[in-house]
Amino acid sequence: MREPPSQMTQIVGSLLVALAIAAVAVAVVTAHFGPTSHAELEGREERIDQRVDAREERREAAAERREEQAGR
Amino acid sequence: MEGLIEDLTRGNVTEVKVVLATVIVALAVYQLVLAAVSYGKVRPRLLESGPATWAHRAAGDTILVLAVLVAIACIGFYGWEEGGAHALFGCLLLGALAAKVLAVRIAGSSSPLLPWIGIALFGLFVATWWTSAGDFLGVG
Repeated sequence: MREPPSQMTQIVGSLLVALAIAAVAVAVVTAHFGPTSHAELEGREERIDQRVDAREERREAAAERREEQAGR
Repeated sequence: MEGLIEDLTRGNVTEVKVVLATVIVALAVYQLVLAAVSYGKVRPRLLESGPATWAHRAAGDTILVLAVLVAIACIGFYGWEEGGAHALFGCLLLGALAAKVLAVRIAGSSSPLLPWIGIALFGLFVATWWTSAGDFLGVG
């Protein structure tokens, strides 16, 4: 029969298993939250604002061009 | 206190608390396995009683620190209002944690009370998680 690993190996192995369990728990819960974290929501709002601003600028530029063309 | 907790968690107080509480419960399940090996109830080929006891203590110390952090965040940020069953289980849990630490310090690791306090502690960890993080995750 094979000898069991040394005591130090067993301790390190047990602690690594505990770390893995903690990592899996963090990953599962974080995945469950999805984009509900404050930072991500803020980022998403910022991107939406930027998109709205860009659209507004394009609309204003188009209106100015139309006015210029109408003035000629 | 509220501001400090909000700053430390970057405004994600509930999310951080839920993650930490879930890690605690996951580690508590592992603690049961380690305790069973430690007391010789389970005899896996790769893990003997001594190293299992050592790992049980190390993981227990980690759980203790995490539990105190979660309790501080919980009481400091949300206070005692609307705590209900969660507040009750939380208080019992902190009491059981203190009792386990005292039992180890006073009577040593051979105290016959330890397994019972440990089982009660596990139940309280699950109940406290279930009435807060479990609800939040949609499983409680």
